[in-house]
Amino acid sequence: MADIDLGRLVIRAFDIKSVSWGDEMKVTPQGEMIISKSMLPDLVSSMDTIEAVDIRLIQPDEHDQWTNTILDIIPISTKALGVVGEGITHTLTGVCAMITAVDTEGKQCHEFGSSEGNLKEKIIFDNPGTPSSTDVIISFDVTLKAGMGQERKGPYQAHLLCDRFLQVYREQMKNFDGKLCSARNEFHNISRPGKKRVVIIREVAGQGAMYDMQLFPHEPSGVEGGRSIIDMGNMPILVTPNEYRDGILHSMQ
Amino acid sequence: MGVGPSAKETSLHHFRDPLLDLISSDEDIDLLGIILFGSSDKYSEKILTSTRAAIWAQGMRADGAVIFCEGSGNNHVDFANACEQLSRRGVALAGLTVIGKNGQFVVTNDYMNDNIIDVCKSKGTVEPCIIGENNLSYDDCKKALSILKIKMNKNKS
Repeated sequence: MADIDLGRLVIRAFDIKSVSWGDEMKVTPQGEMIISKSMLPDLVSSMDTIEAVDIRLIQPDEHDQWTNTILDIIPISTKALGVVGEGITHTLTGVCAMITAVDTEGKQCHEFGSSEGNLKEKIIFDNPGTPSSTDVIISFDVTLKAGMGQERKGPYQAHLLCDRFLQVYREQMKNFDGKLCSARNEFHNISRPGKKRVVIIREVAGQGAMYDMQLFPHEPSGVEGGRSIIDMGNMPILVTPNEYRDGILHSMQ
Repeated sequence: MGVGPSAKETSLHHFRDPLLDLISSDEDIDLLGIILFGSSDKYSEKILTSTRAAIWAQGMRADGAVIFCEGSGNNHVDFANACEQLSRRGVALAGLTVIGKNGQFVVTNDYMNDNIIDVCKSKGTVEPCIIGENNLSYDDCKKALSILKIKMNKNKS
């Protein structure tokens, strides 16, 4: 029997060639990204578990530096058309976001082991889940209030703060001219009648602070609009291949 | 125990997951979808959610399942039960998880034998706390898919 196409997702990648400091928050389809800390004070004051946050731009030749424990590595993507799992996604390559967190008493925010130390020794670069060795890393170094690294709300707000910061860039990325993308990938949810029927099952974290998984955010790999698998009783959820590869999960462990 | 830094899967990992890439591009496989369930902190809920996942797979009339469990330790209680419940429902399975060299599974059963692949890459016996070190690789996923195909063919015969 012929294959059946159940849905299409297009991911357009825009390669970022330079990430630098400036007075405004700006990203262009030609590959220029400018980072400003101007909105950080307002973001920090809106989160009751966060004491402070700093951003560092880590260029590819600057991995030899201290990092607090790493909570997540996040691709910067947005929906240009449709919802997560269908339509068109714009994503940036050559750059990614990283969240690290420690509390005011110096306790690293972690569950089973923490990864603070020299960055070049604490990440295996060029894996599917880690930055490329040529990526610029936008590092969000969050300082939580005392003890908040071990409460669900602390790491959640660290992720949310980063998400709200990135949303400023996502809003600009939505309007990128698709013709200027550096790569275009098309993915289809294909049904192959008559072939072996296979399901992928993933057991994910669902026990509390730093052991959580956020699902169904508004934006790919986002936080806002999502819900925790803990709050859904850890019950099985079905997602399509294109939802999964479009970033319907946001790691919180 | 739980999910250490070396085994944790980042949001970036989910964005470009090798397991999904491999299975969705295999022309001999009709990929039905991805079931996600959380690992609870109570034993009774671990059994409930992992059993419900197996019932989903059976309800979808799956011939086979690749089940991946992030981390190790108590998470393997859910993992082991899912393996058992899938097998008892006639769903062939291959499993992927971190086992490591520090010990055995905290729990096992008759349905976890040559069908489980250890994704641990660390040479030592302790959590190395290095991001990405013990993540799923393409080679791990290829092994799992090969095992699954053999098991599905055995179930058919």
